[in-house]
Formats: sequence, structure tokens, C-alpha cells
Amino acid sequence: MCAHLIVMLRTALLAAVLGLGWIAAPAVSAPPDNNADVYRAVREGSAQSITFTAPADQMLIQSEGQTWRQWRNGPITQIGGWVLAGVFIALVLFRLIRGKIKLEGPPTGRLIQRFTTVERMTHWTVAGTFVLLALTGLTLLFGKHVVIPLIGYSAFSWLAALAKNVHNFIGPLFFAATLVMIALFVRDNLWQSIDALWIRKAGGLLSGEHVPSWRFNFGEKTWFWLGVTGLGLLVGITGLVLDFPGYGQIRQDMQLAHILHASGALIFMALSLGHIYIGSVGMEGALESMKTGYVDETWAKEHHEYWYREAKGATGAAPAAPTGARPSGAH
Amino acid sequence: MARMKFLCDTERCIECNGCVTACKNEHEVPWGIQRRRVVTINDGVVGQEKSMSVACMHCSDAPCMAVCPVDVFYRTEDGVVLHDKDACIGCGYCFYACPFGAPQFPQEGAFGQRGKMDKCTFCAGGPEADGSDAEFEKYGRNRLAEGKLPLCAEMCSTKALLGGDGTALADIFRERVVRRGGTGAELIGWNTAYGGGEQKREQTRGGDK
Repeated sequence: MCAHLIVMLRTALLAAVLGLGWIAAPAVSAPPDNNADVYRAVREGSAQSITFTAPADQMLIQSEGQTWRQWRNGPITQIGGWVLAGVFIALVLFRLIRGKIKLEGPPTGRLIQRFTTVERMTHWTVAGTFVLLALTGLTLLFGKHVVIPLIGYSAFSWLAALAKNVHNFIGPLFFAATLVMIALFVRDNLWQSIDALWIRKAGGLLSGEHVPSWRFNFGEKTWFWLGVTGLGLLVGITGLVLDFPGYGQIRQDMQLAHILHASGALIFMALSLGHIYIGSVGMEGALESMKTGYVDETWAKEHHEYWYREAKGATGAAPAAPTGARPSGAH
Repeated sequence: MARMKFLCDTERCIECNGCVTACKNEHEVPWGIQRRRVVTINDGVVGQEKSMSVACMHCSDAPCMAVCPVDVFYRTEDGVVLHDKDACIGCGYCFYACPFGAPQFPQEGAFGQRGKMDKCTFCAGGPEADGSDAEFEKYGRNRLAEGKLPLCAEMCSTKALLGGDGTALADIFRERVVRRGGTGAELIGWNTAYGGGEQKREQTRGGDK
């Protein structure tokens, strides 16, 4: 009864104060039982102190996680999955329509060195780690939808733990090997004026025409810059941010790193399918060049004419001067 | 069937951290992990300071469950979100997704890798047999199986933190809202506890200086 009276008096007093406009003390902005303001402030992270904070967790209620979840479970999983499947189907169709790109002339039996031992070792380190990372990464992204129905929850958990650890330990090796590879191949991947011809003719991919080039044609250069360098560095750097969580990065940094890592890796994988196809079953002689380091003169002449003439020149045979101008600095 | 919920009344929470301590002790939570934490906003600003205790909120549409790559999460009949530590691979995705920072990871191995995720279980243990040693080792005590509610809420000195069936909590909270007026310490009965109301409080503060 007494409490009730006090409430009534307080209400009357409050009404009087508001009515007369005497607002000396901080005004009550929301009804006392409405905590919307409190929760809003907490979500914004403003003016809050947390009794226990972890370095990676400086905000108690974070809304960014929802954005991350929507990106990861939405476009990255769905579009990413369909892009991979689409590229795979496109390559199968390409193979059916265009067939294997074979040598036109008979092989001469004379070999030209295309890759040094260091280049090949670097390439296969990057390639091997890439495949492992791709398979383990795909396991973590799609395994829940694809593998669990096949092998069951417990077996998949074991597989996923293996995948995560392989991914985390192989990742830094891939990054280091990628840096070496960029350094080894950057010179021959600089722009050369003959590349314009390759672009005009779309590499002769559909027409079957051979477009002359120096050591690497524009298709290979695109893979080098967009794939190996661009996406390689992107997934490498974001991967390190995710792999070593104890260096001051907060949760929002890791969410962003993960979005970039996953989308970059899916594009990387889609592009790599094209590279793997043309480097293995898609073209005669391509796999041998990276396996042994040597190509037949016929292969060199048909696929990289300027480079072939230059190589012949270096070995003392009479080369015909390439017709295309070449920039200084490229060899 | 009950739908278990936590509710923290910011008009009552006094940032004593009793809930945090109770939780750590009851479940023998390892070093570096707090299943429950207290946040204070406008700390020290008279009349604007609010505290609340937050842990896993056992969401209906749980982000952790949605993003887990190995599907370790499950929801009990009481609406409690639990997880299977045996299957957890320590990827950290639930930690990215959770709005409340509930999932936490012990550091393991030479490179400080994430171990098995740990979070509030609403004192409901895990997939192991109720009350078993294995369950206690991994998840802490299963009070729900013993017919008890979460210890953090049971021990809350001002009954700011409530845990239990959502319908019952809503009834309690509604009754509070109807009965009380004012803000802050007035609501938990300053007069009852110390007498003299605001004047007495100001005097006490002056005396402390």
C-alpha cells in the first residue's frame, strides 16, 4: 500500500516536472523497463566495459557475425559450388567439341629445355599443396552437405579434423612456394606486344589456330597474374590471418579474412581447373614439359614460336628473326 | 514442453559477477574460458550505468548451428543448444558467427591451435549419459537432468538473471514491470535494504570521499 502510494506520487511528480519543463537531471529517454537502448548500445559496442575480454573479442554482442553467416552459407557456398561445377562441365564439353590439342607436325625428337629443375620443383610444390588445400577446403565448405550423407557424421568428423589440420599446416608452405614461384616466373610473364594478337584471336582456343608467343602466351600470363599472383597472395595472406589467431586480430578481421579467403579460393579453383585441364589431358606434350623440363621442337614451334626461335638462336642454329617487337628487359 | 531461456534484467544487475564465478566453479571451466560474462555500459556515469550478464542464448535460429561444417550442434527438447565435443574440429566458425561471443576455444598444441569449442550448456551437459563422468569432464554438470535450473541464475543475488521456461520468465518479468517504477537501485529496494532513500545514499557517498 505504501509502495503503491510512492509510485503514484513519483508519477505525479514526474508529470509535473515534465509539464513545467524543469528537466535539470538527465531525462529518462525510454520507459524504465524498456531495455532497447541498452541492447542497442551494447550491439554498437559504445561506452561498454566487459569484465572479461579476450583479445579476439572486444565486443560483447556483435552483429557482424550475422553478415558473415549470410555470406558464407549463402553466395559463397551456393554460387561457389555451382561455379565449380559449371567450369567442370564446360571443360568436359570443350573436350568433347574441340578434342585434345595435338601436335600438327611430326615430333622431331630434338628437345628444348622449357623449365629448369628449380622451376619444376617449385611448380610441383605449389601444385601439390594447392590440390591438398583445395580438397581439404572443399571438405570443410561442402562436406556437411555432400559427405555426411555418404559416410555418416562420426566418420566425417574424423575426416574434417584431418582436413582442417592438413589445411592449416600445408597452407603456409603453399604461401612460401607461391612467393618463390612468382619470383621465378615474373620476368617472362610481363606484357609483350605480341600478347595483343593472342587477345584478338582469343588464343585460337576455339578456332584451333596457333598464335605465336614468347615463352608464355597471354593465357598463361592471365593465369600467372590473376591466379598465381593475385589469388595466390590473397588466399595466402588471408589464410595466415585465419591460421594464426593469436596475433591481435579480432573476430571481425577474421570474418572478413574468411570471406575473402573462401571466395578467392573458389575462383582460384575454378581457374585452376582450366590450367590443370590444358596442362594434362587437354594438350599433347604439355604435361611432359613440366614433368621432364623438356619439350619437342615441334611443340615449341607450334605453341611458342618466338620463344622457339630465340631458343634455337641461343643453341647456335640459324633462327629466323621474330617479326614481333619485344620489350627490353624480357628475355 | 518447456522452452528454456535466459533473461537478464538490466534494472537489477549490479555487476557482481556472481553468475560468472558460479558457472566457472560448478562446471570446472578451464583457464581462459568464461562461459558467462558481464558487460557494463556507461560505466561510472551516474544514472546511466547498466549491466547485464550474457552467455549462450540458446537461439532458435542458432548461427553456430548454421555454420558448423561438421554439424556438431543439436537442440534438446527443452530448446537448449548443445554440442558434441568429440566431433568438434576446432575451426572457429561458430565463434565468428555467434552474436554473443559464447563459443570459446582453449589453445592447444605447439602453434596455439584451437581445441574443442566450449560454451554454456544451460547446465544441460552434452550427448554423453546424463550425470556421467565423461559428460562432466567435457561439459560440466548436468543440472537440468537433476531437475535443477542453471546455477548462474539460481545464485543471482538480485535475481536479475533468470533462467528457465520462457513462459514462466515472461510472467515474472511482466509482473516486475507492472509493479515497479523508477530506475536502477530503486528497483531492487534501496529503501528496504538501507532506509532513507536517495538522501541517505548521497550522504553515504559524501562520507566515503
